Formats: sequence, C-alpha cells, structure tokens
Amino acid sequence: MEMVPESEIQDEVILKQQREIEKEVAEIHPLIGNIQPLTCLLKEYMDDPIYTNKLTKLADVYRSLRRVRPDGNCFFRGFGFSYFEKLLDNEEEWKKFQAIVMGTKDQLISQGFPKFTLEDFFDSFMEVVNRLGGEGKMDAEELSRIFNDAGTSDYLVVYLRLVTSGQLQKEEDFYQNFLEGGKSMREFCQQEVEPMYRESDHMHAIALGSALKVGIRVVYLDRGEITTSPPEHDFPEDCTPSVYLLYRPGHYDILYK
Amino acid sequence: MENKYNMKSPAVKRLMREAQELSQPTAEYFAQPVEDNLFEWHFSVRGPADSDFEGGVYHGRISLPPEYPLKPPSIMLLTPNGRFEVNRKICLSISGHHPESWLPSWSIRTALLAIIGFMPSPGMGAIASLDYTQEERQRLAKKSLEFVCPECGKILNLLQEPSQLTNENEAVQAEAREIAAQVTMKGESNNENPVVEPANVTEEPISVVQQQPPQQQVPTVSTINNDVSYNYIIALIVVALAILLFRRLASSMMAA
Repeated sequence: MEMVPESEIQDEVILKQQREIEKEVAEIHPLIGNIQPLTCLLKEYMDDPIYTNKLTKLADVYRSLRRVRPDGNCFFRGFGFSYFEKLLDNEEEWKKFQAIVMGTKDQLISQGFPKFTLEDFFDSFMEVVNRLGGEGKMDAEELSRIFNDAGTSDYLVVYLRLVTSGQLQKEEDFYQNFLEGGKSMREFCQQEVEPMYRESDHMHAIALGSALKVGIRVVYLDRGEITTSPPEHDFPEDCTPSVYLLYRPGHYDILYK
Repeated sequence: MENKYNMKSPAVKRLMREAQELSQPTAEYFAQPVEDNLFEWHFSVRGPADSDFEGGVYHGRISLPPEYPLKPPSIMLLTPNGRFEVNRKICLSISGHHPESWLPSWSIRTALLAIIGFMPSPGMGAIASLDYTQEERQRLAKKSLEFVCPECGKILNLLQEPSQLTNENEAVQAEAREIAAQVTMKGESNNENPVVEPANVTEEPISVVQQQPPQQQVPTVSTINNDVSYNYIIALIVVALAILLFRRLASSMMAA
C-alpha cells in the first residue's frame, strides 16, 4: 500500500549504520581521556614518514595530549574541558568568565532562542562554571568525572553550540562571507551548529572564541608535505591562546605545552 | 516521582520542568507524562482552524529517549485523523535535512505545535503520512470527539474550551505554522513491532488516497466495491513487501 521513497530507505540504512558506529566509538573512547605523552601518537603513524616527522617536531613544543571522543562534538567538548581545567588554576580569569557567561543568557534570549529550553542548558552550564573557583571549587578529578558523565557533558556541549550559533547570527554580516552554497546563516546554524554530533570548522572556532573571549590555538596535523612544523592558527586572530587543540582531519584533541 | 528517578540526570530534570510548564491544559494542546513514567507522555491537540481538521481533537503518545533532549522524541497518533497513520512512530527533524537532525533547544511543546502546524500540509506519500480526502478528514474530525483513551479518558475533556479571545488562538496557530515551516515529520519504515491498536480505534476508513494533493476532490470509495479495493490494497502490500525483501536480500548478499 505504501510506496516508500528510495531516499527514505537510504536514510534508514544510514541511520542504522550511524547508530552502530556511535556505539562502537563510545565503547572504545571515553568522552575525555587521560593525559598521555604526545609521543604516544607516533605508534599510530609508525609507517608514515610525513606524520612521524611532523609529530617529532610538534613534540618539542607540546609535551602531552588528552584524547576526546571522536563523536562530532570533539571541538566543543575539548574546548570546554581544556578551558575549564585552566580556570581551575586562575581565580581571576574565572571571575571574568563567570560574568561573560552570565551575559550570554540574556543575549541569546534577546536573539529569539526559546527561553524555556535555553534556561535549562544555561542553568546546567552555569552550575559547573560556578564550581571552577571560589568556595565550592571542584578539583581536576571531579572536572574529568563531570565531562565523562554523558548527560552533563552533552549539556555543556549544547550550551557551547548555542553560544556559537548566537554569535554567528549576531555577527552575520561578517560570518556570511564564509558561507557556501547559498544557505542563510540561520539555516547554517540550525543544520551545522546547533544539532549534536555535527562537526566544527574555522567558523565555529572563531565565533565561540569571540563570544566567550577565549583564544583558541589549533595545530593542524595532516599529510600535507611541509618540512617545517605543523601550521598553527589562532581563533579569533591575534588572540592570546588559552586553549590548545590538535586537529587531525575530522577530529580535535587537547594539547598541553 | 522524585524518588524514582536520578534527579541529577539532565533528562530527568528537563522533563520535570517540561511537565511543570505544560501542566495547565490550553485550548490548543495539552501533554503530561502517563501515570508515573516521565519518559512516556500522552498528548491532545486541537485540529487547526480553517483546515479539514477544524473541530477535531487528536490524541497521541510521545516517547522520550533516555538521551532526551539530545535525541528526538518519537510521536504516535492514536486518534484516526487522515493525515498521519495511527500507531506509527513519527519523528521531527529539520526540514530538508538528514533524519534525526533534532535541535536540543526544541521541546515537547515544539513537537505539539509542529503536529498542529504540520497537519494541513500534504502527505506526499511520505512514510506514516496519509492523504485522505477532505470529506474523510472532516468525518474523522467529528468522530474524534468521541475518542476515549484507556489511560486519559475522554480526550475532548482534556483541552480547555477554545478561548473567546481569538487573538490567543491565532498566536498559537501562527507559532505552529512557523515551526511547521522549519520541520519535517516522518515515520520510521522498519516498524517491526506494530503496536496492537486499542479496540476503539480499529475502525479505519478504507478510502485511502495516496499521493494526492488534498484539495483535489477524490470520490470516496463506496461500500459496494469494498472488496475490490481491499484486494487492490492487499496486492499492493504484497508487491511492496516483495520489493523490500528483495532489496534486503540483495544488499546483504552484496555485503557478504
């Protein structure tokens, strides 16, 4: 009776495969891993002179690495963990950050984000931020536990995605130049920024960094033939980086100096 | 309910808040958890004015996944309505985008408004969509008022009387239309365990018209040729199943 369009059957197949992959990834990778020496990556690229060469150079600057689960949220999750970890050691910056986050709520509501759900994500985010300093300050171990608890961790990711979406739409005139394929900024945000598991690129990084006033340095490690050190980019430009991320095609991990 | 759930879980906290937000019935929609299961809700929506569903009240279920609101709820209509199949899971996603592209900033209320806004849109042969004739939908709209849910009782009594302040209704309907313009509502094709229909919804009209724009007048199948149309429908089902089976076999052979 029902003629199911081809595309819908395809969708179902893709969805099913996607769920299986997600499950496998979740079993192997914690959301945020432990600190490891950067040289542990050498094992992955033993037969690859380009990567080996680049990694060896990189290891002069960055000693260690923390792996983030490759689930499409790695940029946001890695950013959040890395910056929160830094705030644990910097009371003054924590206070400034608290004020910045407080401001994002009204800003997003004024931009038309649904108040009811926005407050839900904001409250959870703020609850964690409030405990990065002051009297009820958590320790690094608890931060790691929070980021590895899927429910709370994903809530933090959602709020960072909403902040990013808000910034992109607020500064639409600027970010519009990066858009391809005739999408409106709102469409781009609804399709590529706000949904979970969607991957991030430069635009996300610049917008998130500007909105929260946090400098992000991304180190690019790929197969490109470069004999010098792997290229680095700061988001937004000319910032002082607080968060260091290692980018390999399709994935971000956290770097430590 | 507080004792039963982990109150630290964001999904639980969120659903408690939503239950609180939606605790007062409105004229257009109402939804609450069933018994004490926070992840299983029943809802009622009023058919949108100036549509074939005007005057109807429709009841259904919303199931929330443990990862809600990061993953989408699934919706199931229980009242025959002529736009969505009953007892068939439907999901909300961003229109024109891949399935499961649900936004975490959407909520149960968004889903309810999406249903209201989406009802008058053409089914276009999508999974779990129906394109019944105008007469059939209007007949079902009248009939829907008698619908009794085994858990919630007579659903007509669940919604508030339509407000005399037409502004209010119009505001909700405008919001519903705006949401509907951004979303797609689609069924799942691999419904392996069809839910047994409650006795009071089994009477399904057979004047099914697939892939027809609703404004087109299609004569309702009269009772005389019931058997003929049944045979026709059964033949189509058999062919569709055969095609699906063949595809599955072919793809598994290719995978092997």
